[in-house]
This record gives sequence, C-alpha cells and structure tokens, in this order.
Amino acid sequence: MSGSALGAHVSRLLAAFGYPLATTRRALVTAAFAVATYCLLVLSTFPAYSMQMLGADLGYVDDALLALTANTYRTVGGAGLGLIVVYAVTTGVALTTTLGRVRGAGATGVRDLWSVLPGLLASGCASCGAGVLGLLGFAGALAAMPFEGNLLRLGGIALLVGYLSRVGHPRRCELASTTDEA
Amino acid sequence: MDRPDSLVTRRAVLGGIGTTLASGGVVYGASRLDSGAAESTAVQFHASSQSTGFGIDLTGHPIMGTPDAPLDLYYWSDYQCPFCRRFERETLPELVENHVRTGTVRIVFIEYPYLSEASMTAAVMDRCVWRQVRDEEPSRYWPWHSAVFEAQGEKGSGWASRSNLLGITRRVDGVDAAAVDTCMRQRGREIESSIRADVEQAAAFDIRGSPVFILFDTASEAAGKLVGAQPYDRFETAISRIQNA
Repeated sequence: MSGSALGAHVSRLLAAFGYPLATTRRALVTAAFAVATYCLLVLSTFPAYSMQMLGADLGYVDDALLALTANTYRTVGGAGLGLIVVYAVTTGVALTTTLGRVRGAGATGVRDLWSVLPGLLASGCASCGAGVLGLLGFAGALAAMPFEGNLLRLGGIALLVGYLSRVGHPRRCELASTTDEA
Repeated sequence: MDRPDSLVTRRAVLGGIGTTLASGGVVYGASRLDSGAAESTAVQFHASSQSTGFGIDLTGHPIMGTPDAPLDLYYWSDYQCPFCRRFERETLPELVENHVRTGTVRIVFIEYPYLSEASMTAAVMDRCVWRQVRDEEPSRYWPWHSAVFEAQGEKGSGWASRSNLLGITRRVDGVDAAAVDTCMRQRGREIESSIRADVEQAAAFDIRGSPVFILFDTASEAAGKLVGAQPYDRFETAISRIQNA
C-alpha cells in the first residue's frame, strides 16, 4: 500500500470516528449501541448464569453485569476487558456509521451492513466465546486459546477498524485518486 | 452539511480519548469490584462413604454441616475459578450462618478442575488435606480451603503450583503439610482418577463451568440447579422452593 493510500485510509478512519460526534443525537445513539454491545458481550461470557439471573428478575441485570465484569477482569486481565470495551465502542461507531450510510444511500448502503458482519462476528465470538463454548460443552476451551482469546478479540477490532477506514464518512463520496488506481 | 476536516479530526481525537477513558474506567472499576476478604469461622464438617439419593458418592468429599440435614447442596468448584472465589466471599458466609449452622443444609464440596493442570494439582491437594484431617479434626479443612481461595492469583501465574500450595498448607494450623506432600506423591494418581470420574459425572449433570450448585431434598427428592456466583437471596429463594416442592 502506497503512502498516499495509507493516508487516505487514515483520513477516512478519522472521518468515520468523527461522524458520531458531529451531533448530540448521533453521539447518544453511538453510546447506546456501545453500551448494549458491552452488556451483551459481558453477559454472554457466562450465558447459563445470565439466563438464570435475568430469568428470575430483570432487576438482577446490574448484579450480573458487575459480577461478570469482575469475573472477566480476573479471567482475561485488564487487557482483555479493555479490548471488550474498545470493541463495544468501535461497534457503536460502526453501527452508527452504517446506519448513516443506509439512511443516506438507501439500497447501496444496505450492502454495507453485510460488509461489517465479519468483524462483528469474529470479535463477538471471541468476546463471548467462553460462555458459548461452555454451553456447547467445551468448558475452558477459550482458556486454551492464545492469550485467552485476546488475539482473536484484537483481530475482530482490526476488522472493524478496517471496515471504518474503507467506508469513511457515510455522507461523503470519494473518488479514487490516480495513485490508488495505479 | 459536511464539516471542515480539522473539526472532524478533532472529534475523532476526542472519540479516541473517550474510548481510552471508557476502557480505563471499566478496567479500573473491575479491578476494585472483587476486593475484601472472606471470614472463615469454625463450622462442623463430617465424612461419609454413603451415596445420596441424587447419585453422589460422598466418599472422599468434605461435607459441611450436620449429617441429618434435610437438604444437600452439591457444590462443584475449581480453585482457579474467580467466580467460585466470589461465591466463597460474598454468598457462602451468609449461607453457612443461616442454613448450615441451623442444620437445614449440608454442603458437599466436589472438585471440578477444568481451567488448567494447576487446577488438578489444587484439587488433588484438597483431597489429600481432607484425608489427613477428616477423622480427627474435620473442621480443619475449612481454614485450608478458605486460605487457598484467598491466595487465588491469576491463572497460569504459578500460584497454584504444588510448592506454592504446600507453602499455603504450612501456614494453616492443624494441617500437616508433610503428610499432605506424601499423600500427593503416593496417592496422587489414584485421587486424580477419582476426580476425573467426578468431572465425568458432572458432565452427565450438564455442568459445564463453575461454580455450579445442585440443591437436593433428601426426603422429597426434589432438586434444582443454580449456576454461577449468584447473590444470597437467590439461594434463599431456591431453598424455600425446594423445601416446598
């Protein structure tokens, strides 16, 4: 990749991250997506526990979130938990950006929903993998993965960042430069 | 309307700072969520070689409470599991005070080592400690069990190595660390295979993580399962439900 192509990617990535902060409404929507993603990921680290707690009373949601946040921290460390938060925020940005693109470009934008899926799934699977694997009968499988699955989480975030650096600001159209085409 | 690039860049930088702060805040908060130490006070323990109506062979398992308690609580745990430590600190003391000491519930401790090889080392040592204290002073098991959970460190950090666990054992009154070491060397394999049989039985009960609890009424044979370190009131509700089933 040439220097100018890399520069274009960085510039589009910054534009994508700047987009949700342009209005209060977008910022709130992004925060809501990020919080929802974080809750989903943390609760899915121990699905049987989460289902029993929330099935008994939805009021236990704060107990469950705090307990599983502490458990995740002690299981995968500060780096693993930090990656989950970064993943949740990046997902919030990606979803808001995709939403903006769909609203602005209609059917063309809908295709972008599919392009964001690999990143969401890859990192999502890594983040909630322990619980899901446990449900499937592979207790401790994620613990056997390199860096407790942190490498996979990092890969998922990289996919999301790659997606954002490709789409850029959802309301802007960019023409490829001659350098890009060469 | 599009904004100037410098404004977008500033917002992106602000977003980056926000993300970093959010990550740091959550990680710092999580590190403070699990502080505080559990207290372990003397409580009755006993050994048994019977099998329960639920199909648990009690041989080799530490049992807390009176032998004639109407409810059994089977407790599967791994010494390396942080969620088990949370249960030991936040829920177990109240459970012991309100239901074990009063003779309503007895707790059967079952090893479920699944996180790493060190989990098995700790599980075998658990059984060796129990063998050493069960006849003369079974209640000596409890301080040892609590001391190991209190010493829990990061998985793979070496805290659950044989030498470190023996060091913890030496600091617990009433437990002979030399005898435990001998047991580990001479009976380690035999104990390990019996623990593996327990793990296989746990799989048959659909247990795939820890901590997991099955509450069993010995008279009515009603049973219920609780998964994870749930708060005390969830256990209270489960006990009432099983008693009234």
